[in-house]
Amino acid sequence: MSETTSLNRLLDRMAGYKRDTVPWLGALREEARTIFAGSGLPTRRIESWKYSDLSRALAHTQQGTSPAHPAPVLPGAHLALFKNGILDEARSTLAEIGAVPLRQVLADPATPFANEIGHVNPQKKHALLNLNTALMEDGIVLHVPAHTTLTAPLYLRYDWEGEEARIPDGRHLRVLILLDEGAEATFVESHTGTPGFSTIVNEVRLATGARLKHIRFDRLGTESRQSAITLGELASAAHYKGFYLSEGGRFSRHEALFELNEKDAEAQLDGIFLVADGRHCDNTTVITHAGPETSSRQSFRGVLAGDSRGVYQGCVRVRPDAQMTDARQMSRTLLLSRQAEIAIKPELEILADNVKCSHGATAGELDTAALFFLRARGIPEAEARALLVEAFLSEVLEAIESEPLRACAAAAVSDWLAIHAGEIAHVE
Amino acid sequence: MLEIEDLHASVQGKEILKGLSLKVGPGEVHAIMGPNGAGKSTTSYALAGRDGYDVTSGHVRFKGEDLLVLKPEERAAKGIFLAFQYPLEIPGVSTLNFLKTAVNAQAKLRGEPVLDAVQFLRVVRDAAKLLNVSEEMLKRPLNVGFSGGEKKRNEVLQMALLKPSLAILDETDSGLDIDALKLVAEGVNAFRAPDRSFLVITHYQRLLDYIVPDYVHILAGGKIVRSGDKSLALRLEEQGYDGLIGKAA
Repeated sequence: MSETTSLNRLLDRMAGYKRDTVPWLGALREEARTIFAGSGLPTRRIESWKYSDLSRALAHTQQGTSPAHPAPVLPGAHLALFKNGILDEARSTLAEIGAVPLRQVLADPATPFANEIGHVNPQKKHALLNLNTALMEDGIVLHVPAHTTLTAPLYLRYDWEGEEARIPDGRHLRVLILLDEGAEATFVESHTGTPGFSTIVNEVRLATGARLKHIRFDRLGTESRQSAITLGELASAAHYKGFYLSEGGRFSRHEALFELNEKDAEAQLDGIFLVADGRHCDNTTVITHAGPETSSRQSFRGVLAGDSRGVYQGCVRVRPDAQMTDARQMSRTLLLSRQAEIAIKPELEILADNVKCSHGATAGELDTAALFFLRARGIPEAEARALLVEAFLSEVLEAIESEPLRACAAAAVSDWLAIHAGEIAHVE
Repeated sequence: MLEIEDLHASVQGKEILKGLSLKVGPGEVHAIMGPNGAGKSTTSYALAGRDGYDVTSGHVRFKGEDLLVLKPEERAAKGIFLAFQYPLEIPGVSTLNFLKTAVNAQAKLRGEPVLDAVQFLRVVRDAAKLLNVSEEMLKRPLNVGFSGGEKKRNEVLQMALLKPSLAILDETDSGLDIDALKLVAEGVNAFRAPDRSFLVITHYQRLLDYIVPDYVHILAGGKIVRSGDKSLALRLEEQGYDGLIGKAA
């Protein structure tokens, strides 16, 4: 139907930014562009991209959209609505919490955020991050002053719809969230519809004692192609709690890359991935314990149906100074069909000698004894299977503290189970 | 009620039941006793329809209908209830939600109206009170962290709510101390009725002191080798399986 995304096309568009850019941004973009021109798009030869073939997904001719899921309704939330990757300011309510459109920040030669954008847990060689830096246009910046609590969540709603959603060089968004000392906020993302190609980068910097809850509802369409990266840096006693729900797509990847810089910083990452329809879903995490007595928890649950493919790569790095690190990681996957595939790669890289680190991974089918028990009580097989899948996910769902957000996540799970009831009911 | 005729069943290609025949009339309590490996669990699973328990020949009619062509959930909806020897723990499913799903699933399969949340809660609370099942137990995930006695009381609660016409109790006494056993037996006895039959499967005579059977059958080598009244169980207690039916079994 439309053209494919190519490296040359992306480089052409990057070159187009050179002339009309403020100096700080020009320098940032130029550095990113230069490195990206050398590296190109990530290939499977790069270790962390071994299981996710972006080039192949992009070479695929873009196809039509499937009907989008409705985005969650969050009454009282501060909304930023992105239509096909472009902020719809008229329908957004950002001013009341001092959030600023990224376009405004990028056009300001003297913005205080010039020192932050592209500088949170930087990854100089990350091809997609460089691509995003070179091409970012829209997004928002939120700065919460010290000891301020945002009671209502910041809600970034990304809707992708129609031909506009499928421009060949894609849409590239950037979100910067800065919480000063003791500040608290909740940040919700919803992704629905079918982007032809998009990258979204969140940069999160938490000062001493700041607390951020981050919820992602990634419910994109079967033909969607999106790669998202959440970069974080946590100061002393800062706390980040993420919940990531993803249904995958033709290409779907979320990387959570965190650095726990100072004593008592804590990160908890929970994830649910529900994959059917031959989709692909990649969950990659790298948590670097740099300060002493830092802790991290990861709990991911995957449900794979049909001929879908899931990836969980969880890397924990403990630097020499990060004594008394406490890092735990667990991933469990339910394979509902013989064709479904999961690649699980836990990695520990420990350079301190007094630490507690653990990881565990399981992959298996539904428990036939439990299934028989439910059926012997009169619950039909399809319903019994769905009940056991919900039970499998419940522990991670229950970790969401906010009742309305937990309800949104539970509704997304029920919805997925209902839509894919046929695939869930039969083992082929 | 239940007619089993020359039933042969295999597990993983190995024949376990080798010609089991048994008739259970309405309101009757039959005990099946047998040594380890006699085919007691296979009998209960074959009747309930568990995958992997393959009936190779013979017939089972329940209320005059061929039972063996039905799926486990259909058998349940027709009135068959299997109380498990080891009730399963299912984390993530609350006991209350499970009970409601099961009761309403059976109603749906039978084409009866389903209960709404309020109606169901009233029914379940009444039944739970009789069996000393606490509100707190109902809220917990199914059987998770339940003691042996709590699990079995929970099984009896399920029976009371599902109102089967044939209850198969598979070694209900295993893992129970005497107090728990009495409580479970009381629950079962309260449930006896002229149109309701029981198949009590057990290794030990002890359970039959509390749930008194009309008939006792001894299962050995995959078939019934001796039948009698409750005195057969007492003789078995005295003489042991070897003494009563011989080493050959």
